[in-house]
Amino acid sequence: MAATAAAVITRPIAPEQASLWSDAWRRLRRNRMALISAVYLTLLVVVAIVAIFKTPYSYREVGVALPYSGPSAAHWFGADILGRDVFSRLLVGAQISLIVGVGTQVLVLLVGVPIGLIAGYYRGAVDSIVTFIINVFYGIPDLLVAMILLLLLGPSLNNIIIAIVATRWMDMTRLVRGQTLALREREFIEAARASGAKPLKILFGHILPNALGPIIVQATFGVPAAILFEAFLSFLGIGVQPPTPSWGSMASDGLAAIRIAPHMVIAPSIALSLTLMAFNFLGDGLRDALDPRSRR
Amino acid sequence: MLTRGTLLYIGQRLVLIGFTVVAVSSIVFLGIHRLPGDALFNEHLHGTQYELLLHHYGLDRPLWDQYTSFLSAMIFHGNLGESLVNRGVQITPLVVRELTVSVEVGLFALIFTIGLGMLLGVVAALRQNTWVDYVLSTTSVIGYSMPSFVIATFLILLFAVWLDNLTQGTFYFQIGWTGTYGTIGEIWLPAFALGFPYASIVARLTRASMLEVIRQDYIRTARAKGLKETVITIRHALRNALIPVITILGPLVIGIITGGVIVENIFGIPGLGKEFANSILNRDYNIVIGVFTMYAALVGLANLGVDLLYVVIDPRIRY
Repeated sequence: MAATAAAVITRPIAPEQASLWSDAWRRLRRNRMALISAVYLTLLVVVAIVAIFKTPYSYREVGVALPYSGPSAAHWFGADILGRDVFSRLLVGAQISLIVGVGTQVLVLLVGVPIGLIAGYYRGAVDSIVTFIINVFYGIPDLLVAMILLLLLGPSLNNIIIAIVATRWMDMTRLVRGQTLALREREFIEAARASGAKPLKILFGHILPNALGPIIVQATFGVPAAILFEAFLSFLGIGVQPPTPSWGSMASDGLAAIRIAPHMVIAPSIALSLTLMAFNFLGDGLRDALDPRSRR
Repeated sequence: MLTRGTLLYIGQRLVLIGFTVVAVSSIVFLGIHRLPGDALFNEHLHGTQYELLLHHYGLDRPLWDQYTSFLSAMIFHGNLGESLVNRGVQITPLVVRELTVSVEVGLFALIFTIGLGMLLGVVAALRQNTWVDYVLSTTSVIGYSMPSFVIATFLILLFAVWLDNLTQGTFYFQIGWTGTYGTIGEIWLPAFALGFPYASIVARLTRASMLEVIRQDYIRTARAKGLKETVITIRHALRNALIPVITILGPLVIGIITGGVIVENIFGIPGLGKEFANSILNRDYNIVIGVFTMYAALVGLANLGVDLLYVVIDPRIRY
């Protein structure tokens, strides 16, 4: 008896320990659509990685099936105009989409976050210049800028990523700048400054971690935007060049044969829509989880 | 509403738009002329013929010389030069005509976007947390996840392929565009494809801001006064709920302009977007410059229009 009583007493009376992240995780788990989306996206990533090493057929080998032939047991999603296996091309297209989606967001983070931090923290002339540049970029339609950039740089996967980053970096910069402007007035930043922390330490050690929630949400929404962008460019024929498949260029090829082989356009369209939807649901879920106040 | 201040503001903005147009076309002009090779690269022309063509387009002159004559022709005569591929075709009348086509399609899409989006948003807000609300909310996520070209594709499949096959050709829907400006029967499908993703966004925003507004005291007052529910919804609630919604009009208009590039190409609409994609693929650089100039002007004017619309809807805003 005494032993259990002592055990009860010695057990620290810990308050309900819940960090922001575990709290967010708990809320995210309750969001069914976000969870389903996360599972789908994990699957997509696994499939894309497996497709690096093995696809049912080669994505570029022509004549593995009858041109325009519909879905069958051997070719799940049928064949395209040159008799290439649509399913294999879809898998390689998933790689392209994910590389573009994630790649652009990594670059957007690398470009947008430091600029936003510096503009928001130092304010003054630096901020004015950055805000001006952001407004100029917002004034020009992104698709047109990307098309001109690709025209000048030449179409390749790297240049597509560069073109998308050039038209999308300011979303992140604007967000980080706003967060920094609000955070720099808070007491803990003042305390850090008073205790002699260097600006670099304040920016990346104190402000950035506190702005991480909105940044993650923004990056999550940025991925589908970039994927859509790449699909648009490839659809117009100035994105990923053949024979490399992209969901956009596959849909464009399929549209030309829509009366005789509708599967050619349906397969990439559904793959694209599902992926974009999953990222959007996940972003919605993350936003609700990381910032419960924004929930209506 | 049209005070002296507003007119002055419009004047300033127009000057600014003029500068932007010149800046954008300069960047494109200089960028394109730095590309290796020349515009006649694909044609196997040699000797005097080639020299003559180069001279005809002024491509044998130094870049700076070409640039200044391009600028002065554009600013003082509104002349954007001659197509490199279709010799003799003047670009200015071509792109101006295409601009009006694009604006026509865009306006239809905009009306459709705002009308449908607001309707769905209001219905969802009034029936909050019922199945109507859930269905509409889910549809709107699906809506803005579907790129306009996917929606366009499915519309074509539905109307031009499946219905056609199903009715043995009795129901025949022509995809494409007869004449320059199309007919009402031809225009609604592209407008739907172009506007649907944005209608979803408008619906979400309208729903959220309606929910906020209908809990306000003045709505309760209006109800206590014995006003009809429809009057309260439309005149009291919706009008104020619109204010957050119109803040996205700017991005929305830009989205419709850029989305038009895709939709015009799918439906074969002879607008600016189709010309843009074609001229890039044809390497008709003079038209690329012309189209880009037109787009810069269009975007500037559209933004100005949106800003002026704010004044109409929200009387608190003054310029």
